Amino acid sequence: MDPWNHCTEGDQIRMKQKMNYLTYIIAGIRKKPGRNLATIFCFAFIAASIFSGQFLMAGAARSVDQGLWRTGADIAVVPTRYLIHLGAAGPDNTMAIVRIEPTPYRVPLTTMDTIRTVEGITAASPQLYVSTLDLPEIAPMPFDIYGIDPETDFAIQPWLQAPLKDPLGPGEVIAGNSIPGKVASTIPIAGHEYTIVGKLDPTQSGIDHTLFFRMEDAYALASTNGVIPPDSPRINPGEINAVLVRIGPEPVWFRTSGTLDFKPSYPGFIKDVIRKQFEPTYATAIGRHYAITPMSEEITAIPDFLSIISGIVVVAAFPLIALIAAMVAHERQHEIGLLRALGAKRRIVAMLVISEASFLALIGGILGVTASVLVFALMNPSGILAPALQVSFRMPGWSEAGVIAALAVLIVLAIGSIASLYPAYQSSRMNPYEAIQRGGN
Amino acid sequence: MIEATNLTRIFSNGHSEVRAVDKVHLEVNRGEFSMILGRSGSGKSTLLGMLAGLIRPTSGTVRIKGTDISSLSDDLISELRAREIGFVFQFSGLLPTITVIDNLMLPALFYPGKTDVRKRALGLLDRVGLSDRADAYPGTLSSGEMKRVAIARALSNSPSLLIADEPTGDLDVDTEFEIMELFRQLNGEGMTIVMVTHNPDLMRYATRIYGMEQGRLAEGFHSVHTGHGPMEPLH
Repeated sequence: MDPWNHCTEGDQIRMKQKMNYLTYIIAGIRKKPGRNLATIFCFAFIAASIFSGQFLMAGAARSVDQGLWRTGADIAVVPTRYLIHLGAAGPDNTMAIVRIEPTPYRVPLTTMDTIRTVEGITAASPQLYVSTLDLPEIAPMPFDIYGIDPETDFAIQPWLQAPLKDPLGPGEVIAGNSIPGKVASTIPIAGHEYTIVGKLDPTQSGIDHTLFFRMEDAYALASTNGVIPPDSPRINPGEINAVLVRIGPEPVWFRTSGTLDFKPSYPGFIKDVIRKQFEPTYATAIGRHYAITPMSEEITAIPDFLSIISGIVVVAAFPLIALIAAMVAHERQHEIGLLRALGAKRRIVAMLVISEASFLALIGGILGVTASVLVFALMNPSGILAPALQVSFRMPGWSEAGVIAALAVLIVLAIGSIASLYPAYQSSRMNPYEAIQRGGN
Repeated sequence: MIEATNLTRIFSNGHSEVRAVDKVHLEVNRGEFSMILGRSGSGKSTLLGMLAGLIRPTSGTVRIKGTDISSLSDDLISELRAREIGFVFQFSGLLPTITVIDNLMLPALFYPGKTDVRKRALGLLDRVGLSDRADAYPGTLSSGEMKRVAIARALSNSPSLLIADEPTGDLDVDTEFEIMELFRQLNGEGMTIVMVTHNPDLMRYATRIYGMEQGRLAEGFHSVHTGHGPMEPLH
């Protein structure tokens, strides 16, 4: 019997507990709470900046994706002169083809008949810009009046916050997100009361400041005194500004025809077919890319900016974390010497130094990501995010957010591990005897 | 058990050299309690460091149970140290951030697979009379208690050799007696002990005494067997 192996029955419960590396690492961290909290904060900041950057990009991209899905219009048939206006269009032109730009150039409603003859088109719907009114009693900012055809419209109504109970009727209006007033409230315009029957989601475009009427009501408003400026051309019934067109899936015959080098896209092909229908007259067709390009440029500018910020944070973090890890290793030379004297191999010492930095990185990463998620969750419903970004923003889904969060934590973990490599190497190479001599308790 | 041959260690700071240990021959047999006596700066701790594989000799060899540790890699020396040697430092050498029982289980952490680690640690604590302090932190112990815990930890891996570097250097007379009696008991139970001290009063505990001065084992004190009798004068 081992004379040193005395043990009472009461000790049996405690027998199950075992010393492990985590206990040792946590104990080491608890030894210097102030410094380690600062280190955790540093890691949290890095994780938050990485997560926020990626999350914002994902949110903006999601918004664009959703916008494209809602847009529906692949092609807009517009007056030829519209192209001149589009070329000089400002920020309001950043929305995809949901609502045509407010211009005074119009085409006859019969254009619809010509368009419907083109094979491959699944939907076509007219839009009419009536006027822009500045009525502070209705809205703090000037708002646009548009006419749509509720029966054929596929561009505006998908943006409704809640589907209409009945088709848009006489005296009823769909209001953009920035127009004050709730559903079922009324708006007085030119002596008439119009009932808001639907409100649209925010789009960060002119749509937010637009009232959409039935085409008949739009013509009626256009003929009312004071609605159209005196110097603007009169709007006659049967005139429209554009026809929004949706095309069907690419047919097999198109997919298998032509050569790869010169073959246009299917929407491009249909656009050319429509153009030829009207040449050399008043109408032409524009593709979705006209409207989307400015939006894309904005979206791509954000990742560039965020990537630069994240890059600076990561680059600045490396030497900082390495310095902290080196400080920790230097302070604990005596302890490291003791571990070596007790039989710890070099790689175990290195592993302990790296594990401690990684553990701090993990805690910091999780805290940083959690804090960022909370901030986004609190800010988004209050509508702060989208204006701050200057683009439409929609919260990414849980799975996408989870992937971004995991990525941010992994990057921070990598920073912590890599930055502690050299201090870990130095610690493992320390002469145990000399290390032990440096202090003691 | 230990055989040091022509052991030399020179420390250099670039401008000058210090011959801390100079051509030392030493032999420690199984079951002996060898004591190396010397003044501060005589090189005895450096010699002990080389015997434990913590310091690489400039020249010469150290054999532990026939294995020349000078030719081993750092990792193999660590492994041998963990398996064969218990080390008691002048200071307690306990990690203040973990409990007494965790300090005792720490060496086993580096070589997993051992069973009943906690059981053995508790048994050792009981043996040094501190079983009721298992969950205490070292900072709450007296210096004598800390030293006893350090001895218990040195024994936790069941070593065949206990090396102690001035283990009573910072203790009062009563505690010093308590610790030395513990060493005597251990030696009586078959543990081989090598200890360095500057205190000649402790020579009575040793079964073999070496005197060390200016890096060399003092002439005339090789293999002086004193038992527990009075101290022989150094020449």
